[in-house]
Amino acid sequence: MSPPNIKLPDTLHSINPQIMRRGRSASIVKVEEVGENANEELDQTASLNSEWVNYKGAWLIHPVLMLMGKVFIDTVPGVNQELSWTIVNLCYLTFSYIMFHYVTGIPFGTEINGVYDDLTMWEQIDSGAQYTPAKKWLFCMPIGLFLLSTHFTRYDPILFGINFTALVVLGVLPKLPQLHRQRIRLMPEEDFSSAPTPIGPPTPKAYD
Amino acid sequence: MNSTVSAAASTLEPLFVALSYGLDTLTRAFYAVPGSAVVARYVKSSHQNDPGRTVLELVLFLFAVATLLQGRRRTDSSAKHFIKFSDKEIDELVEDWRPEPLMEPLQPEEEVELAKIPVISGPTGVRPTLVTGQQVVNLASFNFVGLVGNEHIKTRSVETLRKYGLGSCGPPGFYGTIDVHVDLERDISSFLGTESTIIYSQAFATGSSVIPAFCKKGDVIVADAGVGFGIRKGIQNSRSTVRYYRHNDMQHLEEVLHSMDRERRKKRAPLTRRFIITEAIFDHDGTIADLPRIVELKKKYKHRLILDETTSFGSLGKHGRGLTEHHGVPVTDVDILYGSLAHGLSAAGGFCSGSNVMVEHQRINSSSVVFSAAMPPLLAVCGSEGINILRNDASIIPRLQTNVRAARTVLEKTQGIEIPSDYQSPVIHICLRPRSGAATLAPPEQQSYFFAEKQPAATLHYAREERVLQQIVDDALRGGVLITRAHRLKGQENPEPRPSIRLAITAAMSVKETEDAVRVVREAIDRVLTAEAQA
Repeated sequence: MSPPNIKLPDTLHSINPQIMRRGRSASIVKVEEVGENANEELDQTASLNSEWVNYKGAWLIHPVLMLMGKVFIDTVPGVNQELSWTIVNLCYLTFSYIMFHYVTGIPFGTEINGVYDDLTMWEQIDSGAQYTPAKKWLFCMPIGLFLLSTHFTRYDPILFGINFTALVVLGVLPKLPQLHRQRIRLMPEEDFSSAPTPIGPPTPKAYD
Repeated sequence: MNSTVSAAASTLEPLFVALSYGLDTLTRAFYAVPGSAVVARYVKSSHQNDPGRTVLELVLFLFAVATLLQGRRRTDSSAKHFIKFSDKEIDELVEDWRPEPLMEPLQPEEEVELAKIPVISGPTGVRPTLVTGQQVVNLASFNFVGLVGNEHIKTRSVETLRKYGLGSCGPPGFYGTIDVHVDLERDISSFLGTESTIIYSQAFATGSSVIPAFCKKGDVIVADAGVGFGIRKGIQNSRSTVRYYRHNDMQHLEEVLHSMDRERRKKRAPLTRRFIITEAIFDHDGTIADLPRIVELKKKYKHRLILDETTSFGSLGKHGRGLTEHHGVPVTDVDILYGSLAHGLSAAGGFCSGSNVMVEHQRINSSSVVFSAAMPPLLAVCGSEGINILRNDASIIPRLQTNVRAARTVLEKTQGIEIPSDYQSPVIHICLRPRSGAATLAPPEQQSYFFAEKQPAATLHYAREERVLQQIVDDALRGGVLITRAHRLKGQENPEPRPSIRLAITAAMSVKETEDAVRVVREAIDRVLTAEAQA
């Protein structure tokens, strides 16, 4: 009986010695995937940095902070409702973007520093699983804030446009599962001088 | 014209009636739900007479709802490699499975190799007796100080055995430490001039345990390309970023250090720990590292130095203190110094010596110390006695060096071989000179100092060299000298070291005995190579 013809994927990444040179790539925008080798996967499953997003307190802090921010900005004289909601919206989007999508690795050093160096917090949550409860909550927060703000204000088209674009670019797009581990680089430089860290000779197989 | 329109209208009329009735029911049902008026008012006030805006918001709202309703997906690591087999395919795979034997049957050349391993009857020493009855001169075992079979050490060991029993019954941190271990640590520290020491129970496992204790993921290691298997495993375990510099090439080391520094500054990456790892006497070819230059570079680029003194402790320096004494470099300049008691002192185990902080860290963070059993106390006493002997007798190392010089002088005039080892190294590697026209290695420019894939052409030539070297070993054995090829784990070291014969000179033999033994080796080489050339 002949063996079934089933194609198995090659999970060992091969390393090509790369020539050292620099140059500009031809494209203006380049989308790179942040890949991982087997060793890094093992390290990451062994230690989790992002457990805290699953605590209910971390969920509650978002509406609380939004409310406090709104109240604080309302106390400033001369700020009308449109401006105040816009400020709250933009501030929330900016800070959550910086925290979840810009900073990579583990900002507050522990003994597992270096394991997550290429991943943003969003990609670390729940080891990269999509549509988890924490991610759904964080996804709905900026959308909810935006819908709330359009209800209570009379936006002129410009302010509406600003808010909506900020929401889409900073709030929704980075959280989409299609953009998981993808980095968008503008005017990228081809950088060959840093070769990947060699993994080592493969574990011994039977005589081949 | 009118009749067709009215005819069409009449056929569609029940449809319209049904639709309006359905809409009516829905509206009434909607308003029947409590709180619906609030929602209706909310939506109406959000609408603000701008349908475009409402459409966008509606799309957003529906998108959010759709996201909430999605099920949880697997993490991408398991999803990427997960293959969904059909039941039939699973059955086929199971039917086809034949278990592989634990051990493949030996190839003929492996059987020959196995048969050729000499077996010593009784204890080993400078002149052991083989089971065939032949007495041979031992130039194969590491015995630099000549303590194998030393009567005083034997007496002390037996005393210790009677006092403590054989094993130490546990890891050092868990009831395994005995006073003789503490004494040995103190002896090594005072011998080397360091603050404190920690001992390891196995010499080969020291490197692969010390390096991951200090180097973690995200740290940077710059290592010599000629480091041995233990260090490579240690580096692999540590998950640090590693760059190799060409073997013993200080110029290239500086280039690599400089480029790493520039890279880090360009990326504005945070400062992590940086290490230089090198061996004192390299195990695979016997070259000696240039310690003063390395220390100078490490101070300039702010790296920590990890020095592996496996073969140099007990063989270099005036009293045998190792490479630091040999080069006159203060031992405090080496941040992490580790070595072996099994090679130089013929005791067992290894040690790591340095500052208090560095050593204390290893008591909990070094895998071998935490999880492996401690050294048997009698071997610890052997180590202490060996160090005492070295300390008190200043003539041992000069004797060793004289023997080494004598051996090198005898081998100097031999045709057809290359000796990469340093002139003062007690470990002498004899490699075959490549035949004219046939290169056994790719030229240095093509050798990638990142891990290159296996070089098949080189392995073919290595097979031939190994055969010739084995013939030399056999011939020397017939002449009464026991030598050995350097045995490597094939396919595990990258790049593959050249096949060689490894001579280990000992201080226990006199100059004349060493010369005679090495002369036998030389004659064996001459005979075999002449036969090869004629064949």
